[in-house]
Amino acid sequence: MSSIREFMTDDHRRCDDVFAEVEQAVTAGEWSTARDTFARFAAAVLQHFATEESVLFPAFEQRTGMTMGPTQVMRSEHVQMRELIAAAERALAAQDADDYAGNAETLLIMMQQHNMKEENILYPMCDQHLADDPELLPQIEAGIAAGGK
Amino acid sequence: MQAVLSFDQAPPFAAPFRFFLTAPLFPLLAGLLLLIEGPPALASRWTPAMLALTHLIAVGFMLQAMLGAMIQILPVVAGANLPRPLLVARALHLLLVTGALALAAGFLGLFASAFPLAAVLLGTGVGGFALIAAFSLRGIPATSASIRSFRLALVGLCGLLVLGIMLAGGLSGLWRVPLIDLTRVHVNWALAGWGLALLSAVAYVVVPMFQITPAYPARFTRAFGPALLIAVLLASLAPLAADDVAELLQMPVIVLAAIFCGTTLWLQARSKRARPDATQKFWRLAMLAGLAAALLWAVARIVPPLAAWDGWPLLFGILVLVGGFMSVIIGMLYKIIPFLIWLHLQNRGKGRVIAPNMKAVLAESRMLRHLRLHLGACALLLAAVVWPAGLAHLAGLALMVASGYLFTNLLAAARLYRQHAARVDAVLAEAVHAVAKEGA
Repeated sequence: MSSIREFMTDDHRRCDDVFAEVEQAVTAGEWSTARDTFARFAAAVLQHFATEESVLFPAFEQRTGMTMGPTQVMRSEHVQMRELIAAAERALAAQDADDYAGNAETLLIMMQQHNMKEENILYPMCDQHLADDPELLPQIEAGIAAGGK
Repeated sequence: MQAVLSFDQAPPFAAPFRFFLTAPLFPLLAGLLLLIEGPPALASRWTPAMLALTHLIAVGFMLQAMLGAMIQILPVVAGANLPRPLLVARALHLLLVTGALALAAGFLGLFASAFPLAAVLLGTGVGGFALIAAFSLRGIPATSASIRSFRLALVGLCGLLVLGIMLAGGLSGLWRVPLIDLTRVHVNWALAGWGLALLSAVAYVVVPMFQITPAYPARFTRAFGPALLIAVLLASLAPLAADDVAELLQMPVIVLAAIFCGTTLWLQARSKRARPDATQKFWRLAMLAGLAAALLWAVARIVPPLAAWDGWPLLFGILVLVGGFMSVIIGMLYKIIPFLIWLHLQNRGKGRVIAPNMKAVLAESRMLRHLRLHLGACALLLAAVVWPAGLAHLAGLALMVASGYLFTNLLAAARLYRQHAARVDAVLAEAVHAVAKEGA
């Protein structure tokens, strides 16, 4: 059986791959491909956030009693990334390669440092505290799959 | 657990930034020294000017930027929070800057007590930081290779510091030590035991992260840190051995460094990003310079006239320090600083004022211009070793120009930060004012 850490980390990498595809399309000047691929990227990331916020984080908070701890920080970073995704989307719609590159770069670094905290700190804590809940991982898997990548 | 609960406590912007901003002033000074001293400075690695120059770069730039970065990344990568980060940063920064200057003054013989002063300042600052960092990493589970490697790098930092203090005391006549032999051991601890160990710890995280490459192979990250420490210990025995055995004892460090550079280049070639950005180009330059240094070392072993030439250690040092460590550090600064400025402005704006994105903070074109200047400085420094009479002054000037340009880039970013922060405060104050008015 895979752990929460493994499953969610794999999903992070899937999102990274789609992010790279958008960048390839923008560099090649293929704007309509870039917009479509970015829509796929945004859907995947937002679904990941939604699953964490509605399934994983509440389970963690309930079990540990830590409502103002790491999950709160992760939620506020989700807000910042949603803003960056919206800004990058606007740049794509305007076909402004420089503006896209600046927002996408910022999003990438924000996303990566966020992922690192989750993968190294939060997910291991989840695995440690929630190992005895057999329902949880299938629920998370279903939540992520609902994004339909 | 304590650390984990508060793992968002990224230190205030001023904590790491003071290190980054003053770091370029030291290679600027090093360039000035070479410009003034000219060809005699390049006569061998042991000239006072060359020793001062080396430490202006190694302590003033490299160590300063690395410690500043560690203050920033320990909480984020490892969840290890330093107590009172701003106070620690201020004290360490002051001790490091004055210590690096005193050390250079010692080599140049500017005043009698310079070496003991440098030893006290750097011993207190760097030693104190190593203790605080080790303390903050205490009890943090090693959930990643980076966390293990940070601990090993701290061992290297302590090693280089103790050896450096022994040398400083020896040079100022406080006690007697075999200066040349101890220097060789000190260099191993500084460049491999600390420098490469920390670089590898950071690389495991940032190369895949910034450049979307595959991760370093797990076998590599498990073995590299401990292997490097063992290699440095072996190299430390070299002065006790006969010449040919000494070279064998030095070899593992060189081989491991080459393996690290090669592996990193191999990963970067698999980057999924559309085109390499300035950071990635600085990284590649650094890894190629590292491989070139390893190759030079190997050739010097095979070709005795090269090994006998006083110039080859200078070429090796320039490749490792300026081409390698300086390049990679500059590349990272160009990623970390725009991101931190964006992050702090975004938090300050509370979602009401949008922060300028990373490329609006520092334009890619300015980074690429610096890359060309830096590359020119590296090439001229190398050429000046071969033809000091013609190029020594010019190489000094080139190092000044490249470092000065880095300083202006960082200053421009700092100015943008201040201006935007003031605008954010004004907008938020106005909003509060408007709400108050409505309420009335």
